[in-house]
Amino acid sequence: MSAPTAPTEDRAPDALGQGTKKSRGHQSRPPAPPLSAIARRRSLTGWAFIVPAAAIIVLVNFWPMIQALFLSLKTGRGTRLHWAEPLWLNYQRLFQDENFRLTLGTTFLYLIIQVPIMLGIAMVLANLLNAPWLRFKGFWRTAIFLPCAVGLVSYSLVFRQIFATDGLANDLLMQFGILDDPVNWLGQTGTARMVIILGLLWRWTGYNMIFFLAALQNIDRSTLEAARVDGAGGFKTFWYVTMPQLKPIILLCAILSTNGTLQMFDESFNLTAGGPGNTTMSVSHYLYNVSFRNSPNFGYAAAISYAILIIVAILAAIQMKVGDKRD
Amino acid sequence: MKKTRSLGALGAALTLTLALAACGGGDSGSGSDETAGGSGGTGDNTLTVWAWDPAFNIYALQEAEKVYQADHPDFKLDIVETPWDDLQTKLTTLAQSGETDQLPDIFLMQNNAFQKNVINYPDIFADFNDSTVDYSEFPESVVAYSTVDDTNYGVPFDNGTAIGAYRTDVLEQAGYTVDDFTDITWDQFLTLGKDVLAKTGKPLLTGQAGSSDMIMMMLQSAGASLFDDEGKPTITDNKALMSAIDMYGQLVKAGVFVEVNSWDEYINSIVNSATAGVVQGVWISGSIQSAADQSGKWAVTNVPKLDGVDGATNYTANGGSSWAISADGNTELASDFLDATFAGSTDFYDTILPKSGALANWLPAGESDVYNEPQAFFGGQPIYADVLKYAAKVPSNNTGAYYYEGRDAVSVAVTNIMNGADPASALAEAQSTVEFAMG
Repeated sequence: MSAPTAPTEDRAPDALGQGTKKSRGHQSRPPAPPLSAIARRRSLTGWAFIVPAAAIIVLVNFWPMIQALFLSLKTGRGTRLHWAEPLWLNYQRLFQDENFRLTLGTTFLYLIIQVPIMLGIAMVLANLLNAPWLRFKGFWRTAIFLPCAVGLVSYSLVFRQIFATDGLANDLLMQFGILDDPVNWLGQTGTARMVIILGLLWRWTGYNMIFFLAALQNIDRSTLEAARVDGAGGFKTFWYVTMPQLKPIILLCAILSTNGTLQMFDESFNLTAGGPGNTTMSVSHYLYNVSFRNSPNFGYAAAISYAILIIVAILAAIQMKVGDKRD
Repeated sequence: MKKTRSLGALGAALTLTLALAACGGGDSGSGSDETAGGSGGTGDNTLTVWAWDPAFNIYALQEAEKVYQADHPDFKLDIVETPWDDLQTKLTTLAQSGETDQLPDIFLMQNNAFQKNVINYPDIFADFNDSTVDYSEFPESVVAYSTVDDTNYGVPFDNGTAIGAYRTDVLEQAGYTVDDFTDITWDQFLTLGKDVLAKTGKPLLTGQAGSSDMIMMMLQSAGASLFDDEGKPTITDNKALMSAIDMYGQLVKAGVFVEVNSWDEYINSIVNSATAGVVQGVWISGSIQSAADQSGKWAVTNVPKLDGVDGATNYTANGGSSWAISADGNTELASDFLDATFAGSTDFYDTILPKSGALANWLPAGESDVYNEPQAFFGGQPIYADVLKYAAKVPSNNTGAYYYEGRDAVSVAVTNIMNGADPASALAEAQSTVEFAMG
């Protein structure tokens, strides 16, 4: 399989990358002397390092994506696939699909509630951990980051146990007299969604915090000292000096979290199994059902996955537009 | 990291979907030179098998291997433990990509998924037209699961016949015996249940909320399905379904049926004596018997029947599985092996029953002594022989290719009805969901 494609991969990045980069460089900078023999050889060495990895990415990532695009234009069950009539039939179908609308709405709900809370908490925690007066930093840092080391399926199952009707959450709340009767957390739409959001917060906050912490530690101390000399208080320093310098990393975290939440699968599948009445199901879970649980409809499943891709791309573009105003 | 998560998240769905595309078009071919891992008809006397439960169906395979080895000393089984969800995913992936030589010679299939897979991927299944398996020795309703267009594609294995199992000690407190629960209707069951609840504080049944197991069992007990003979969904104007959902609602409202959220909670409710009864496929007896302190306190009888529904019976089923043979494998040996063991050896069924509770669908097995032995756990009742008698009376259920769509849509409708939605419109919505999925 690799034999016929390899040569084209060799050429593709070469032509693309070299061409555009060089011309751009020539235009924006003062005219540079032509590449010497040594420089050219160095450049070739660089490409030699990049090409194998790039070829593998193209082969196992981009090539299947293109194939999936073709697949999303086909229709039929099982192996009896044929070109759809009209070609965009599966995409048209998306707009009539109640389940797709429901699961997409639920996923957006998770996104809108969970990501801002998570990034906010992560920011607070990162600042706390960066504070000079804090003791046992290593311990706190590890403790907060540790949930990330837990498998998605295992933590989903643990959360399911905790929020069972006879689970830890109800026991504790009743022990402290906050509740009189056990709450059926996973049996009601609102509370079940809340449990999923709680799970996502627990699992991912520490992860984002590490990014923020790294960025905080990279901030030049002299800028903070300058702010203090100018008479800025703690909050003002944070808001006007620290935050702007963190902007790129916040943007990165926002995009990664948005992307991750939109593709959320394990929690929906294992924690609530989509219930009650499909109201906690994520789009990816629905996609799985269309492909493997139900009578397989791979053309439509591919169209759903492309819809997710398009949504992620649009959201990332918006975030970059909003968040990346360099001044 | 987030990336890892997106990989994990879509690993199961998106990436596979995308990767499948690479072969799905059928253009890249099957690479028929690769036989690694698969059966590939190696020509020798080894069969590869996929099954999922070491204590149950895998154990049965190992015993079947020994039985068959008596006449065929060179014979060997290569059993690969594959959980059902994974098995379905692998099967779909291989069938979709045309890599059918990677399939095992024999694989186990949930009865409810059998027709879906045969209809979508007819090429990967070998039929039993030329085999010597005598299908008249299996209950008709069980054979129907693996039959498509009058052709048999499977050998039935484990029995999904439903039982009504009750705690005799709890019933006694309320002044009843198990006979009061035999050959009754659901209306009578409801009245009895309210009384038992008032006197002992225990519900008669528990079950998973949002699972339509109970409703599907009620439906099948009246010989009704979610689909008609042509495979069209019949969720609206389905009298048996309406009646089943109505009864389910009454049971839950009266507190006679307590809904729990997960399978673990369901099993706990049985093992921890939180319920006075269970209505479920006979395979639940394995879980019941895990509570050693309840030995002698259980009795088994048939299940209640729906009132005022034509064809209603006291017999139904839930689950069960059948063996399928891959068309690409060593079909001759595989079919002979299944015929000689799962469809032809009383010794074999006698061995696996006591240790794994794997109850045969093969009717001649019921005549053996092992099946007629009294079970101490069930107060000395020979429950296995009794259940085999029920099995023969279970009405058939038409699963078709869209069984899971239908079942899931009905589950959603039931959840909504329990939360106060109008039953007729909730079912109409379920019908249109299924019609959309089929379109």
